[in-house]
Amino acid sequence: MSLQPDLMLWLALAPFVAALFAPALVRRIGSSAGWVLAIVPAALFLMFVTMVPQIAAGDTVSYGVDWAPSFAVRYSHLIDGLSLTFALLVTGIGTFIVIYAGGYLSGHHQQGRFLAFLLLFMGAMLGLVIADDLVSMFVFYELTSITSFLLIGFDHTRAPARRAALQALVVTGSGGLALLAGFILIRVVSGETSVSELFASPDVLRDAALYPAIFVLVILGAFTKSAQVPFHSWLPNAMEAPTPVSAYLHSATMVKAGVFVLMRFSPVLGDTALWETVLPLFGGATFLTGVLLGVRQTDLKQILAYTTVASLGLLVMLTGVGTEYALAGAVLYLVAHALFKGALFMVAGAIDHETGTRDITILGGLLKSMPITFVAAILGCLSMAGLPPMIGFIAKEVLYDGVWEAGGVSAVTVTALVGNALMFALAAAVLIPFFAKPGELPKKPHEAPPSLWLGPIVLGVLALVGAFMIEGTAHSLISPMTSAIAGEAVELHLHLWPTGLYPPVILTMITIALGIVFFIFFKTLRLLMVDLLETVGWGPDVGFDQLMRGLVKGSHALTKRLQSGAMQQYVTLTFVILAAVLLLPIAVDGLPDFRFVGEVDQPFDLVILGLAVAGLWVVIISKSRLVAIVSLGVQGVMVALIFMLYGAPDLSFTQFMVETLSVVILALVMTRLDLKTVDHRLPADAMKDGVIALACGLGFALVLYNTVQQPFDDRLSQFFLKHAYEIAHGRNVVNVILVDYRALDTLGEISVVMAAGLAILALIRMGPRLKSAVVGPPADRADATRVGAEPSAATIAAERPS
Amino acid sequence: MSTLIFRTIAPYLSALMVLFSVFVLLRGHNEPGGGFIGGLIAASALAIYGIAYGVDVVRRALWVDPNALAGFGLFMAAVDGLSAILAGKPLLTGLWFVPVIFGVEIPLSTVLVFDVGVYFVVVGSLASIALALEESD
Amino acid sequence: MPHRLLPVLLALFIPSLAVAAPSGGEVDRSVAMFEGATGLIPWLVVLPILMPLIGAGLSLTVRSRSSVQHRIAFVALLFGAIAALALFLQVSANGPLTMVAGNWLPPFGIVMAVDPFGALLVLVTALVGLAGLAYARGDVDEAGTHFGFYTFYCLLIAGVTGAFSTGDIFNLYVWFEVFLVSSFGLIVLGGRRVQLDGAVKYGVLNLIATTIFLIAVGVLYGFTGTLNMADIHLVVAELDGAPIVTVGAMFVMAFAMKAAAIPLHFWLPASYHTPKVIVSALFAGLLTKVGIYSLMRVMIMLFADQGSMFIPIIGWLGVITAIFGAVGALAQVDLKRMAAFLVVSGVGVMLIGLGYGTEAGLTGAIVYAVHSILAMTAIFLVLGYAQRLSGVTHLTTGTNLYAVHGLAATLFLVFGFAAAGLPPFSGFWPKLMLVEAGYQTGDVFGIAGIVGIILSGLFTTIAIGRAWVLVYLRPPQEDGVPDPEPTLEPGASTRPFALALVALAALIVAMGLFPSTVIDAARSGAQGLLDPAAYLERVLKVE
Repeated sequence: MSLQPDLMLWLALAPFVAALFAPALVRRIGSSAGWVLAIVPAALFLMFVTMVPQIAAGDTVSYGVDWAPSFAVRYSHLIDGLSLTFALLVTGIGTFIVIYAGGYLSGHHQQGRFLAFLLLFMGAMLGLVIADDLVSMFVFYELTSITSFLLIGFDHTRAPARRAALQALVVTGSGGLALLAGFILIRVVSGETSVSELFASPDVLRDAALYPAIFVLVILGAFTKSAQVPFHSWLPNAMEAPTPVSAYLHSATMVKAGVFVLMRFSPVLGDTALWETVLPLFGGATFLTGVLLGVRQTDLKQILAYTTVASLGLLVMLTGVGTEYALAGAVLYLVAHALFKGALFMVAGAIDHETGTRDITILGGLLKSMPITFVAAILGCLSMAGLPPMIGFIAKEVLYDGVWEAGGVSAVTVTALVGNALMFALAAAVLIPFFAKPGELPKKPHEAPPSLWLGPIVLGVLALVGAFMIEGTAHSLISPMTSAIAGEAVELHLHLWPTGLYPPVILTMITIALGIVFFIFFKTLRLLMVDLLETVGWGPDVGFDQLMRGLVKGSHALTKRLQSGAMQQYVTLTFVILAAVLLLPIAVDGLPDFRFVGEVDQPFDLVILGLAVAGLWVVIISKSRLVAIVSLGVQGVMVALIFMLYGAPDLSFTQFMVETLSVVILALVMTRLDLKTVDHRLPADAMKDGVIALACGLGFALVLYNTVQQPFDDRLSQFFLKHAYEIAHGRNVVNVILVDYRALDTLGEISVVMAAGLAILALIRMGPRLKSAVVGPPADRADATRVGAEPSAATIAAERPS
Repeated sequence: MSTLIFRTIAPYLSALMVLFSVFVLLRGHNEPGGGFIGGLIAASALAIYGIAYGVDVVRRALWVDPNALAGFGLFMAAVDGLSAILAGKPLLTGLWFVPVIFGVEIPLSTVLVFDVGVYFVVVGSLASIALALEESD
Repeated sequence: MPHRLLPVLLALFIPSLAVAAPSGGEVDRSVAMFEGATGLIPWLVVLPILMPLIGAGLSLTVRSRSSVQHRIAFVALLFGAIAALALFLQVSANGPLTMVAGNWLPPFGIVMAVDPFGALLVLVTALVGLAGLAYARGDVDEAGTHFGFYTFYCLLIAGVTGAFSTGDIFNLYVWFEVFLVSSFGLIVLGGRRVQLDGAVKYGVLNLIATTIFLIAVGVLYGFTGTLNMADIHLVVAELDGAPIVTVGAMFVMAFAMKAAAIPLHFWLPASYHTPKVIVSALFAGLLTKVGIYSLMRVMIMLFADQGSMFIPIIGWLGVITAIFGAVGALAQVDLKRMAAFLVVSGVGVMLIGLGYGTEAGLTGAIVYAVHSILAMTAIFLVLGYAQRLSGVTHLTTGTNLYAVHGLAATLFLVFGFAAAGLPPFSGFWPKLMLVEAGYQTGDVFGIAGIVGIILSGLFTTIAIGRAWVLVYLRPPQEDGVPDPEPTLEPGASTRPFALALVALAALIVAMGLFPSTVIDAARSGAQGLLDPAAYLERVLKVE
């Protein structure tokens, strides 16, 4: 290792720092900021290149620092064949993307923000691939989703872009949550917190009873991110983002995060029946879906997007097959795809930039006007079609090796064959703009500036050089990465040119032949697909809208019941719960043992009690609210009398004053509110309320009865009495309690009194419309009625592309 | 309500009640009484005066905004609680000074100051409510 | 009116003869009071309460001079916050800190006792209070100031802080009342129709909850003869289980209502969108957390084993609340109502953590509480800011703020993603910890809790994503809806808003990037709740 590990930890965060400065830099030096900012990924790329020999020699390096030690989370890196290759792709392609974005969005008023998002993404993606600790891996994983969301919605004035952004967020976000649950489950089940620790005890997850749960959660995360059927539709929609984003995030790197996770965990989760069934199944389905839907497209970017979906399916399928050569094929294909798809997206962007359209039915004749771009395109297309002498060719050879080795003529093999043939045809279709007769082009085409063709050319040349120097490529990148995925040392011996006529070569020949046939009937095929899709009329993309609309509508219906806006209902429910709270424990434990605890000292007590009860009775039967309020006061006054009789004149007086004030204020408020003076409830409602009230009353009575039956521990009272005079200098214990023993309570209470006075003043002064407050519709239903017109569902529907 | 008799006796009644309220406040520590009750009585006095002569008269007679008086009461009580810091005692500890002036023991204490704060809060807040209600009728 | 019950409760303290008499002889103070001098450090316990209280009193005293009020409140809260910071550092280093009001020996005097759990929440409350005050400078008009905005504001902070710091259950009730009445004062400021409707629902339902709490305190006092929390912990452990169950159930109901757990949540969505934004924000941040705090303090620490039967019930309520709260957010068209439901959903997540009843679960819930105070305050404030800039309050209208006002847009996304629990923001860590705690319980409820947390996160993400797309990204004129008028007066400074929001964003990001401080404090807080030995020792055998 050429650099200090600590330094590596911080250097890997450099893109985030660069992102912070990007807007300011663009403001200062304009679009050439792209060239300056590209220094960051370029330097990182070189740093990772220096590590290649060490990793190729079979080393893995891990290091880190504590992040949240009390939760056993570290910020740590694991550099092995898998992470190094990914890191090289992220920083290498990233360098050219940043340069490209400088030119592509030159003069755009939000270019600074765009570059910032792009660099944020780069930091997140780099952090993800080299992460060792599970939690930090997840953090970066989510960050890639967030930045992707921001970048897809970048062209925010267009409704389809906004919809695509939301869709990507929802799909990858839900997957992210599943992955989170999966990662945490891994932590709990294995007791390990990082990938390298898991590798040290590789069977701990496979042997666990909860393995199926972990498996499902992890692949849910991976499948949503890597756009596997049926979650694939967000990816083609994400092409709403500016082309550098499509090239970088949505083909070369971010969408491979799901595949990365599968490859990362293949040594500890793979090699089970579940893994080897589910992955090839979904991967294969995605592969075929991707190429078939790709045929239907006429937009260059859409064609590339669907082939990306297909390629991701292929990668998942191969990872699932899991044999040595299948994995090697996946690795080679992954690298090849990153190079050619990154290049082709940039080509598509350049064509769009120079001609104003990406429609292959209009484009033509660009061979003459854009020769350099054509060179980049032809290199990319050769690799995509799987033709020599490109790395894509080797990838296809090796993957045929892999699937053949796994099962001869199997469903997987046939899928690979058909898919590759269609891919061949689509690669050819990408070249149409250069050869066909041009239609009406919005702009007169001429060659793109260097910032736009530099990236694709370099990537194309790399795909070529990598193939010619396949021994070196295999040794330094492909074998270490395959080893990391397989979980054991693998040494591959690869050749550019086949050395004999064994099955994979025959499969390749069939592929090419079939591909040519497909291309000849390309238009027919497209029309066929259009018809087919129109007949079906439904797909996951439509399903997404239906789901969202259903979700909003359903939650609206549910919330309307939970929060109806009717005060009466809230209060009723509250008291029903209160009654249950009071009575249920007693119902379970049985009634208290009724004994008469005290005795009546003075017959006068009974009179007071009788009056209080009479007051309450009047409250219940009175038709007028005013009478009810006053009668309520009677009961309070009786309580004051009891205080008086039992030696607490202060309390008695206070109670009396409070009672009087309550009656006066309540009466004033009632009259001011102009409430109906009579109770207008239906008898049935009144009965229901009465039952609830009785239940609550009974509950409180039983609780109090239970309390007085307990022997009362009066050490507090005794203490208060004992020290009131000698230490607190007061003979009136009530007052000593108020201003000394529990003065803090009094301090709080006087602030309550003060606030209450002020609040009532505010109510009276600021609310001259007090009457209407109670008469008008309730506040929390006002909204509900608006929603009744369904703008919530309509708004989301409005976001659908027309 | 504003009969002649009422208007005639109201000032005397109010004045008497205010005086009585102060008496109740001061004797509170040893006999029934205290800031709370004193405040209630004084607020009633102001309310009666207001009913007899109108709110404006009361406001002028009061000199200060009743709410401000309440605020000052809280401020006083809280600062009084804080004052124990000077004696090295915890919050709200009662500190007593009993100077003998002309042979009479005058018990002064932070406790009394606190009670006066309570008195102010109760007077101010309740008077404010009462006056506002009377005013808006 | 709970005040009608207060004298009744007071009567419980009174011995049959209310007049004390001199017993004669030498007075031995040591049987009733501490002897030695109190140092300055214990004052840290009460200063975060006392400062805002003094600020409240003083700001009302100078009521006629509106311009001074903001300054008084600021100085008071600033001193309070400095004390809170010192308190947090002190408690983190040396364990629980106490001060007995009036110098009376525990359990007879009112003990203010702050453990790491309390100290953490006191600190966050103080910080949010300061940030909110900066915002209020721009948000509150002359009339609001005149009718006591700053007084109520200080009292609210004092009440909430008091609730987090007290070691006496009746005193806890008093602080509940302080913040209830001051919050009611804040909610009626403005006097618009919807505000009053919201205020009525808020007031009535909260009064019911507070009254139940008061009655429960009275009954508990009848059973135990003490109000000191540490003492209650000891006495309750000795009690026969049967009668104490009802008391426990009453506490659970009162606090669950204050916390706005479904199906006792009605008051929250009914009122939070109506008052001034700064008021809603403060409510959203602080009020429900007091309910959660009290549930933990009373049911976990005080009731300990006696409360164990309630813990799963609380947890299941949490699952329902987490899911349906977020569903409610998804159903809203009004942005502030959406945020109100997000508050409810967050309450559910905390209750799930409480329901696990384990150290890991409680730690997660406490960390979530800190996050929720910050994020929920912030999200309301940013919605208010955006409304001032664009006039938009509903999902039905786009604002294009993404293009024209990057700061507001960025902050909305930061706060929204924090609320959804996405990294690298504050909400991420507690979610992670609670999921792990759920697996560790290894039972059905553990899984149900995880499902609740995950669904809450998912729905919240969708709700925030929709709001971002429909309001912030979308240009205004698209649907033919007329452009709403910005409510920011021309030439008015946006600095108070921006200052408050950036400060909160800094805290939220800092908590996301450097979670250890909060996690460590929360963990020792959770340990203290489950095994309050240190707390008991400090409170009952002080010095």
